[in-house]
Amino acid sequence: MPIERPFKTSYNWEHLEKVLRRQTTEGPVPIIELLVDAEPMSEVTGIDFPAAKAVELFTNAGAALNDNAALEMGLKLMDLSLAFSKAVGYDYVTMIPIVPIRKTRRTLADDPDAKRGQRAWIEETKGIISDRREFEEYEWPSLDQVSLLPIDYAGGQLPAGMKVMVQCDGIFEILKELMGLQQLAIASIKDPALVDDILEQLTRIMVHTVDIVAAHPATGAVFYGEDMGSSVGTLLSPKFLKNYVIPRLKLIADACHKHGKLFLLHSCGQLEDIMEDLIGVVGIDAKHSFQDNIEPVEDYYRKYRDRVSVLGGLDMNLLSSGTTEEVKIRTRQILKACAPGGGFCVGSGNSISNYVKIENYYAMLDETRKWNEEHGY
Amino acid sequence: MSDLANAIADLKEDEVKKIVQDMINSGADPLSIVEECRKGMDIVGERYKSKEYFLGELIMSGEIFKEAMAVVEPKLKAGKSGSPLAKMVIGTAKGDIHNIGKDIAATLLKAAGFELYDVGVDAAPEVFVRTLKESGASILGISGLLTPSFESMKLTVQAVEAAGLRSKVKIIIGGGIVTEVVRKYVGADAVTDDAPEGVELCKKFAGAK
Repeated sequence: MPIERPFKTSYNWEHLEKVLRRQTTEGPVPIIELLVDAEPMSEVTGIDFPAAKAVELFTNAGAALNDNAALEMGLKLMDLSLAFSKAVGYDYVTMIPIVPIRKTRRTLADDPDAKRGQRAWIEETKGIISDRREFEEYEWPSLDQVSLLPIDYAGGQLPAGMKVMVQCDGIFEILKELMGLQQLAIASIKDPALVDDILEQLTRIMVHTVDIVAAHPATGAVFYGEDMGSSVGTLLSPKFLKNYVIPRLKLIADACHKHGKLFLLHSCGQLEDIMEDLIGVVGIDAKHSFQDNIEPVEDYYRKYRDRVSVLGGLDMNLLSSGTTEEVKIRTRQILKACAPGGGFCVGSGNSISNYVKIENYYAMLDETRKWNEEHGY
Repeated sequence: MSDLANAIADLKEDEVKKIVQDMINSGADPLSIVEECRKGMDIVGERYKSKEYFLGELIMSGEIFKEAMAVVEPKLKAGKSGSPLAKMVIGTAKGDIHNIGKDIAATLLKAAGFELYDVGVDAAPEVFVRTLKESGASILGISGLLTPSFESMKLTVQAVEAAGLRSKVKIIIGGGIVTEVVRKYVGADAVTDDAPEGVELCKKFAGAK
């Protein structure tokens, strides 16, 4: 079901940036997403795309640079992203720099009965670096292997008013993929020096990546994805995160800020124990990812609205299992709580995944557009 | 509290191995070793609840517990083994391959005295039902981290009903996004997003104090 009525038909990064910087309470409430799967992008635009190829590209982005077929598929995905942003009315198009770090991901076995497409998740048990020997043998990419091809490509085709939102996988996120969460949890207690060394390598690469990404004229902001929480607390102890991760996140955020670009954080889970560090030390400009059973977005907004902007909040359970009426009601509840004070954008609590009902995605957009119209925008 | 329980609670892996081996060598009752290990795991659970410990420590304690059990279990099999608190089937719902929550819960449940039948991840309703029948388990735990797993959980509960087992089996669902609303939708008896809490709920099902 392609989109019938876009959220809007012009693009205004300038306004979005003012909202993200909490510099205005005027103007329409913008919409934002960290990630939209290939299937919903195809459905919205009516453009066919083999979704499983997107999973392959995200899993092994580096290979695309040496493989013409993969490169062609990557360009098609970028075209799809551009068409999607234009069709819906986002003020940005999301692109991902190519950082050729070899890692593992797990996918479900092909299931012809599955209604949704393929997705991939990080390895939870054991990754490809579990000890010092494997760390020493691992081939870390050189900094000149990081490619901004997607940002260059999209940057050359942006319509007036649109910027590139650059999504970067975080160091802790990649660490989990390299080690496996279980192996990482054990190593964080038994061999923190190994974890420290892996993080140091990843920080070297990510500081460079964010530095050149943020310097790119097409870049509007960096959307940095770093899941650090479970539903009840941080995955590893706050002490560990404060010692080994937070100071490095600050280096990465600084690399972004020195070019005057915004550093938006996507991080799932209950992060109360490190939130002060994320805001005060790292200097995040915005927080994204909310689950109603952990902390509804309104509660977070009330606590932190004076210090960071707040992004999204429509619970994934609701978007994938609820009715359109329920989505509209919840969207309005959130807008009432978060829109008048500014520094807020509507969006999903996590992502528009391939299991979100497309009619619910449209309901969220429609209700937000209606809200904006009611307020004269 | 014994040295063994304290060593497990403090995540002292080498010390746990040494104490367990010394106890085995000196002819200690394997069941008493298991009991001390369980006490240690109980302390870990308490520290997790009070936020002194986090997921990392929970996983680490599980590994230490497994290592200790690997030494003790052959002795248990050679001698008399204690009766389990209850038999339980556990697995991640069809369409979901997340295993870490399920694995943590499984380790804690074993430590608490449950006899576990783990059907792994992406498990179809018929696999859960077959294992329930074969094991005679009275508790079923279904894990899931993704919203689509709700539908699989529901289908699994329906399959348990269709097999005529529902009145004999208590069903608990677990995972980072499950809620009371999901429990009702699925038709389960209990819900948790926290492994130690899940163990407490299963203990209640088993009639344990």
